[in-house]
Amino acid sequence: MVRLDLAGMKSREVNRKLKDLIKTETEIELDNPHSIHNFATALIGEGKITLHGSTGFYTGGFLEGPTIVVEGNTGWYTGDNMTSGEIIVKMNTGSNAGPSMVGGTIVIKGNSGSRAGWGMKGGTLIVCGNVGRWAGKMILGGRIVILGSVGEGIGESMYNGIIHVLDPAAEEKLGGNVKLVPIDDREKSEVESLFKKYGIQQGVDDFKSIVPRVYGRHEYVLFKPTHKQRAQA
Amino acid sequence: MCGIAGLIAKDSPTLGKDLINMLKELVHRGKDATGVAIYENRDTIDLRVSMTAAQYQTDLADIIKKYGPVSNDRIYQGQGIFTFYEASVDMDPARVSDLNWDIDSHPDICVHSLGRSLKVYKDEGSAEELQNRHKIPAIKGTHGIGHVRLATESVENINFAHPFISYIYPELAIVHNGQFTNYFNMRRKMEHWGVRFKTNNDSEMAAHFLAYQMKEKGKDLEAALHLGLETFDGVFTLLVSTANQIGALRDRLGIKPMLYFEKAGATVLFGSEQICLTPIVSDVYATEMDPGGVQVWSV
Repeated sequence: MVRLDLAGMKSREVNRKLKDLIKTETEIELDNPHSIHNFATALIGEGKITLHGSTGFYTGGFLEGPTIVVEGNTGWYTGDNMTSGEIIVKMNTGSNAGPSMVGGTIVIKGNSGSRAGWGMKGGTLIVCGNVGRWAGKMILGGRIVILGSVGEGIGESMYNGIIHVLDPAAEEKLGGNVKLVPIDDREKSEVESLFKKYGIQQGVDDFKSIVPRVYGRHEYVLFKPTHKQRAQA
Repeated sequence: MCGIAGLIAKDSPTLGKDLINMLKELVHRGKDATGVAIYENRDTIDLRVSMTAAQYQTDLADIIKKYGPVSNDRIYQGQGIFTFYEASVDMDPARVSDLNWDIDSHPDICVHSLGRSLKVYKDEGSAEELQNRHKIPAIKGTHGIGHVRLATESVENINFAHPFISYIYPELAIVHNGQFTNYFNMRRKMEHWGVRFKTNNDSEMAAHFLAYQMKEKGKDLEAALHLGLETFDGVFTLLVSTANQIGALRDRLGIKPMLYFEKAGATVLFGSEQICLTPIVSDVYATEMDPGGVQVWSV
């Protein structure tokens, strides 16, 4: 195990250092990140990195392999385009958590902002708190599990993949081209094993699933914001 | 990009400092200019202007002389070429708009703020540089808004930096994150209404538009913001402050960020990012404003 103090270090220095350390170390502990941007982007390897503090934007972008535990908050675009590995955020994240992720797992113990899992293609995103609007917008694959309340337009125009929600009011907040269906047994056991793995105390029976309205074939309807009639100024 | 911040903290002894500290956390969103508009309780009408050279002070004195005597004046050099002048003017409050108009008619002088409660400090560089250069006193204020600028739509000149005020409606200030794509159409239309522009910046149009709706059409801030939402085109998040209110407006697609957090005891914080709230409240989860949202808080 190695422990590092990041005070005064720029994100480029930190990432270079991590790249070297991950070759030999299996456990890395870091202090004083002061909301550093681009933390552990494009990091490849095996090992666990624990960060005592919060990070800024693009935490663990393009991550391949390592497990990152952030004991504070993260900013926008956590796990952007990650391919494998784990990001566990003990508190909240900003908007766009796990956008375009291809594989791996992101677990957010707190709340997340809007557009969580936007355009993800694979992997798993678990949010233990609430999410903002447009969660799972245009996803092409993967699994999103949300334990708290969801915002409007959830699953808007999703092509494939699945979103599991507990929010009883989810039906009123569905986006276009998706439907809410009961969770099936296979999904239940998969979600249960995920909860067991990440220590989440929650039953799976009350979950519902959000899936594309037409499996496999996406009915294309252009996304339109609701405009009021323009007033004559 | 640009970043905005706002704070309602009634009778806070450290309002100016708090707002600057919030902007310091947003330094990565723009370093071209930083500005704050702070509202305080005072009995004098205070003026702040920028001049392209100190020699125009005599021209300025000639203009102000017609309105009343000045006191507590100071003149100092800003970060760049501009010279700043600040003074209290003993004048009829009903003529504030006229004085603002008269000073802005001078090509080398630009009013940054004029009024009974509002003071605008803006200069090129970061929040830290603004604080050091302008020696912003520990203002006991009620509310304020601030901005860090990444110039995209017009020149890098402090008169084109935020907060913007409007001579039409004294005490109104706006900060804007985004771009108005119908600026030229709006400007042409508003010039027919008789509105006069000092700069070529798109955000100045929003300040005059809202001021015009409130002054000439008798709308309140909320109604003016609703009309703004329907009229402005582009991506924008606006924070608009008057002597007793702060209003927020976000575009319909929610492209530009806007967070707010209401703390028990009449404190409300606004910001582009969560991190800019952390100097005031250490760890909270702020609410994201809805796309197409209009909200107004009373101070």
